[in-house]
Amino acid sequence: MTQPKRLSQEDERTLVRRLKARQEGALAELYDVLAPWVFGLASRILRDDAEAEEVLGDVFVQVWGRIHQHEPGRGPLVPWVLSIARNRALDTLRRRRRWWRKADRWGAAQRLEDDGAVPAPDPAEAAVPGWPVHQEVHAALAALPADQRRVVLLAYFEGLTHSEIARRTGQPLGTVKTRLRIAHGKLAEALKHVKDWLR
Amino acid sequence: MTDWLGMTPNPRAPRPELRAQVLARAVRPRAGRRRWVWRAAAAVLLLAALGGAGYWARGTILALSAERDRLAAELAAVRDTLGFVRGPATRIAWVPVTTNGRLGGVTIFADSAARRWLVRCEGMAPNEPNETYQIWFVTAEGLKRAAVMTMDEEQATVMAMAFDVPDDVGPVTGAAMSIEPRAGGSTEPRGPIVFHLRL
Repeated sequence: MTQPKRLSQEDERTLVRRLKARQEGALAELYDVLAPWVFGLASRILRDDAEAEEVLGDVFVQVWGRIHQHEPGRGPLVPWVLSIARNRALDTLRRRRRWWRKADRWGAAQRLEDDGAVPAPDPAEAAVPGWPVHQEVHAALAALPADQRRVVLLAYFEGLTHSEIARRTGQPLGTVKTRLRIAHGKLAEALKHVKDWLR
Repeated sequence: MTDWLGMTPNPRAPRPELRAQVLARAVRPRAGRRRWVWRAAAAVLLLAALGGAGYWARGTILALSAERDRLAAELAAVRDTLGFVRGPATRIAWVPVTTNGRLGGVTIFADSAARRWLVRCEGMAPNEPNETYQIWFVTAEGLKRAAVMTMDEEQATVMAMAFDVPDDVGPVTGAAMSIEPRAGGSTEPRGPIVFHLRL
């Protein structure tokens, strides 16, 4: 597979129009630029390649089937696709939690990152479109105090509610809410200039 | 705002062979949708079949219950009749009667211990519209009301009735039948006597 081209905002709008026109080539282009991010996000949440691949397939089925629901005025295409990926992965995670399958492996991985550490960017992937945004998000997260970073990661990657985070961290519910609010404010401020997601 | 967090995990290239599978699956969602439709249709059919079976079972159960109740009532009547016939204190008397030129008969089973009577009339002429047959207990104090047995045109020629001998009626030595006004009969015989019998 050749390296996919980077997309400007205008490229992205064109891609959405082609997707809505049911051009299968547009879906292939979107896959080429977004599959590594979707797969990376699903893998990060699920810690299981087979399940992450399943989520990857589900995401693109959903994107193709519901592209008409995407309104450019409400946000760019990339976060919309990533939110689908996150929701799908969290659904799978919740199903798995209910079944308590693979609990040991998941628990061990979780314990490793429960301190809120963010894995370092992998330089081998630096050519992937979106890499600059990836680095900026990393930098913004790394700039957060550890307590704030931890609650953000628990909420986003494990889909925990505020109460569940409070129980997990042993912090009062009000503290958790305050940390999340402050952290999201800092992230929004640090990343407000991000426009081209796949540059 | 957590849109950026989806870009946090390192991108991971999925297996190359997955690309064709995912794209093929995405652009052919109709098969999945059709499968869903078939499953829904099967579920509806199953529910309809279960509902139909339930409705049929309910109707059958109700019909069988009614039949059981009818048979139980018939069995109780037969046992009651047999009780009269087998009772050690039961006397049986038969008297031929002629009503309106028609020859018939009246059979009386009188259980003096249980103070119950069973009277069976056969081949008697129908009453006039304003008249009825009335049975009397013969006692030392005269005739006492026993029962009213109306025979209409459309009624079967055999009529049976069981009744108790009231406590205020002394020892019964015989039976009589007269024709009385249909509205409730009479307190003492005024019409023509059909038969008068000593037991």
